[in-house]
Amino acid sequence: MPELTLKHDPYNLIITGVGGQGNVMTSRAVGNMLSLLGFHVTIGETFGASQRGGSVMSHVRISKDSSWSPQIPSGHAHMVVSMEPSETIRVLKDFGNRDVKVITNTRPFYPVGVISGQISYPSDDDIRTWISELTSKAWFLNATEKAVAIGDPILGNVIMAGALAGTGELPLDREVFHTIMASRFSGDILQKNLDAYAFGVESVLSRKI
Amino acid sequence: MRILGSSELCEDVQKKDLCVDCGACAGLCPYFVSHKGKIARLFPCTLPQGRCHAFCPKTEIDLNHVSETIVGKSYDGSPLGHMRAIWKTRAGRLMQGKGAFQNGGTASSLLVAAMASGLIDAAALTRRKGLIPEPFLATSTDQILSCAGSKYMASPTLASVHEYSREKGQKLAVVGTPCQMTALGLIRMNPLGREDFHDPVALSMGLFCTWALDTRRLIRLIENRVNLQDIQSMDVPPPPSQVMTIRTCDQNLAIPLDEIRTAIPAGCSICPDMTAEFTDLSVGALEGDPSWNTLIVRTEKGESLVEEAVRQGYLERDAMRPEHLEHLRKGASAKKKRAFIMARDKHLLNTDPAKGPSALIIKEDLVKKLLGEEGSCLH
Amino acid sequence: MGNEAIARGALEAGVRVVAGYPGTPASEIIENLAKIAKEGSRKLYVEWSVNEKVALEVASAASFAGLPTMAVMKQPGLNVAADYLLHLSGSGVRGPMVLVSADDPGALSSVNEGETRYYAKLMEIPLLEPGDFQEAKDMTTWAFKLSDTIKNVVLLRTVTRLSHASGTVVLGEIPENGSNAFFKHDGFILDPNEGAILSPPVEYKHTEQQRKLKIAEALFEDSPFNTYTGPEKPELLIITSSICSLYSKEAVSILGVRDRVGILKLGTTWPLPPKRLLKHLSSCDHIFIVEEVLPFLEDEVKILAAEHGKTLGAKFFYGKKEGYLPMVGEMNPDKVAAALSRILAMPQPGMDDVYKKRATEISFAGSPHREATFCPGCPHRASFWTLNTALSMDNRNGFVCGDIGCYSMAVLPAGFSTLKTLHAMGSGTGVASGFGKLGGFGMSQPVLSVCGDSTFFHSAIPPLVNAIHHHSNMTLVVLDNSGTAMTGFQPHPGLEKDAMGNVAEKIDIPEVCRALGAEVRVCDPFDVSESRQVLLDLMDRDGVKVLVLKQSCALSPEKKSLKKYTMSVDQSLCAGENCGCNRLCTRIFACPGLIWDKENNRSRIDEVVCAGCGVCSSICPKGAIMKKEAV
Repeated sequence: MPELTLKHDPYNLIITGVGGQGNVMTSRAVGNMLSLLGFHVTIGETFGASQRGGSVMSHVRISKDSSWSPQIPSGHAHMVVSMEPSETIRVLKDFGNRDVKVITNTRPFYPVGVISGQISYPSDDDIRTWISELTSKAWFLNATEKAVAIGDPILGNVIMAGALAGTGELPLDREVFHTIMASRFSGDILQKNLDAYAFGVESVLSRKI
Repeated sequence: MRILGSSELCEDVQKKDLCVDCGACAGLCPYFVSHKGKIARLFPCTLPQGRCHAFCPKTEIDLNHVSETIVGKSYDGSPLGHMRAIWKTRAGRLMQGKGAFQNGGTASSLLVAAMASGLIDAAALTRRKGLIPEPFLATSTDQILSCAGSKYMASPTLASVHEYSREKGQKLAVVGTPCQMTALGLIRMNPLGREDFHDPVALSMGLFCTWALDTRRLIRLIENRVNLQDIQSMDVPPPPSQVMTIRTCDQNLAIPLDEIRTAIPAGCSICPDMTAEFTDLSVGALEGDPSWNTLIVRTEKGESLVEEAVRQGYLERDAMRPEHLEHLRKGASAKKKRAFIMARDKHLLNTDPAKGPSALIIKEDLVKKLLGEEGSCLH
Repeated sequence: MGNEAIARGALEAGVRVVAGYPGTPASEIIENLAKIAKEGSRKLYVEWSVNEKVALEVASAASFAGLPTMAVMKQPGLNVAADYLLHLSGSGVRGPMVLVSADDPGALSSVNEGETRYYAKLMEIPLLEPGDFQEAKDMTTWAFKLSDTIKNVVLLRTVTRLSHASGTVVLGEIPENGSNAFFKHDGFILDPNEGAILSPPVEYKHTEQQRKLKIAEALFEDSPFNTYTGPEKPELLIITSSICSLYSKEAVSILGVRDRVGILKLGTTWPLPPKRLLKHLSSCDHIFIVEEVLPFLEDEVKILAAEHGKTLGAKFFYGKKEGYLPMVGEMNPDKVAAALSRILAMPQPGMDDVYKKRATEISFAGSPHREATFCPGCPHRASFWTLNTALSMDNRNGFVCGDIGCYSMAVLPAGFSTLKTLHAMGSGTGVASGFGKLGGFGMSQPVLSVCGDSTFFHSAIPPLVNAIHHHSNMTLVVLDNSGTAMTGFQPHPGLEKDAMGNVAEKIDIPEVCRALGAEVRVCDPFDVSESRQVLLDLMDRDGVKVLVLKQSCALSPEKKSLKKYTMSVDQSLCAGENCGCNRLCTRIFACPGLIWDKENNRSRIDEVVCAGCGVCSSICPKGAIMKKEAV
């Protein structure tokens, strides 16, 4: 196997979304994959109260030689993978920089303040424009829609993990993913996970997004 | 007449104890409900204008406007309002002994006659559970009779009007106190100009009223003296009596009026209407004879119902003695004057909108005439 | 995960009995061990005790019988267990015993950010603080060894950012099953191994306790968990512990001052090993202390420096008391880097200001505030709808005393801002018991309290007894959603299963309340009109009433992903913003499953999010929300 390198060391990846969307699944999947490949991985997360519809973030630090703190210093994210468009912007405010790259699920999950009509939610166009402005490269895909089509909205997370692999930013590959998934699932569920992952990879590689 | 929203209603009426629990704001929406004699706002509604404020008889009532809409004549400040006729009446031979009438049984008899003739298919009335008044939509003669008997507590009767309106009917009779009849008038004016509005009222019948009682305050006054569930009837006999009598199966309790008056909501003190002036008919006690009523006829519709009821035997009618009419006028006039003075003193009469809310609005020259003195009320 | 590492560390020490109460961020420790216990490959007993005091008692019993044992809780739970801990640290233990307490700096999932560390000083027991995931495992295993040596409880403190973070850990061996349990008690009364286990005679036992602590202190001098990285004579010495050591490392790296700043990371933080500390304190005059939340380490280091002032000379301290780091909230690399750059008088390399300004500008419209709320289908939303509207209708300024659980969120608009007091577990009913006696001082406001089913067993029973005995006028509303939901759905005595998945005795909450003498009613909170009628009725009466609102949590195994109803909004009936409705469903009820369609002035259902509970259908004033039984 060719020696695996990181574009940055530590590589700072943020996975964000809304509590209940399955953030933890993505960070675990990616973390496990990179750990299997021999990297030091630290994942910082918060569970509990924030799950009840609040914003959640996982900070993933990937390094060849040592462990880093579970919180990324402000302005130091290299890649943001987001399950929710407005959360992308929220994360970029604190952890973004001119070089940051972003993959966003485009389906909004409205905060209670928005669905109750107190505050407004930005339009799709505005979101795209703003995210593009704040990043060096941005990919947009409706992972939720595809996940529902495959059979479960929670598979959106797996699609996003696949998209991340597709960008080539981190040395993730399908074999490793398969190994990880096969150790936990089998049969129909395993296949759905693999399909979701593949869809994510293809979406990025085909440059459709 | 300004129409504002629920926040103003709470600030200007409920928080100032002007609410008389007429029920006009209850049952329109999920925000206002009446529970045990008190209006509660469950959640804030942010609309700047609402029917709740528009219908409330204590917010910005242009008495002239209501008078012209309901009775077809302008508000002239006469003590008893516009009358086509005034009689002494009681239940006719068809209605004798049919119900536990307070006095002559006129109201019940006319309602039964109206239902029999098909003029109405329901009546918004009031029942009583212990001391808690409950609005009730009666749809049969038996149900009408079950509501006979005076209740001195303010009752959210108009909530039943909204209930009836939802089914889009147009044959409702409403029986209520002057404030309720005023609010009913506002409802019928469709002040917000809604396209889906149809006047549900086929007959409006007012009850004479000097004051009403706040249910919760009344309960607190007497719950230790009598078993509330056993109350059969209540009465305020005419002067020189100075008590309210409450009758149960084994008790006849007399409570000094001085005590009872502590339970009158402040809203009654600014009410200028003793005989329910904005109605087809108004019914009250008759001076000196508890087995008869006083009946005022105001509109053609009211008149033809009365004629028919007398002809068929639902109602018995006779002339009223002039001195009784004079006393009634005097009493009504005194209440009117007291109310306008009180309203003026509380800055609720013809108030400059920039300075605050009005409860009552009447023509300026009327103010001078009624209060018999110079000086307008615009401060 | 940090918690997994702690669990593994305990296993590698041969732990046999583990007890605790769910509490974020500690819960996963017991969950992991419960899974292993369930597998049956090892002799392991894991218990979710009714509360933390009992958990500590249960664990200590196993220790008295000679087994290695562990108690696990979040910091406020340590407060609950504190009385027993005081006496336990006085009596000493037999089998090695470790007490794990997890702090939540910044209160990410708590209503306080209380400190564990002072308990070590107060209770005079040793304190260990792992600084990363490997240490989380290794130090737990070593804690058992230490406890065995000194025959007293050892306190291990973790924090959210360690417990819930994950990193690589090299695993060790798990020993074979050990000895049997036997409580030897018939020896000489003062014999620590064979006599009775008591905290008196107090002075004698207290002296023993302090002697044990001295042994630990000596062992700490050479501990591999105290590490130093940096130059021999640093310009600035950072003294730190716990996860703050990683933040310090990150901050030093960001500023590029690895050759100027040394980091002394302490893992043994009570008692501090004086020789080790003095060695480093003499190597540098500028000391920067990094910890969370309160200045525990800072104070102790300063005391040590003062005691040895003559030989050490004057030191410059940069800590919380000097204002370099805050005394509230959690620590992070940015705060440490900012302090460091201030101390070293260096510019702080941070975010590009232009980018930061623009990103912040965009975020005002781009990332609307996201408030936590009840999940779609949560019975609490329906329960608080009932409580709130009933209190409004009752119109006597009644109020609800709150308690700890998901329903604590009812202080927010999500629960219609119904809770008016909120403190510790079980306290809602205690406070209500007090309010209910104020009628004699002219108070006529109806008094209510709430608690969950788990909280009921944890600590709401004694105050309920108190209220009944003293004829207090109050109503307790038990929100029974069949689990300890906020912390991850652990079982409790109201359910038929225990931590290890075995059949357990189910204790019936309404029966208990009836036996105590309260007037009890049970309703389904999803039936809002019935629940409200019952509550209004109960509020009218004197004495102690209990209303149990029973309906499972939306996230419970039997409910998850199963919709009872398919919901839809009839667009022709929906009154939208008009007088008569004004968007009651989306503006006030605000379930995430309902969306306000501004363009069409109508509400609609978000099918992906809706849980199909059907409650919104009963609150719609126009009957526009339809529910159809799902197939």
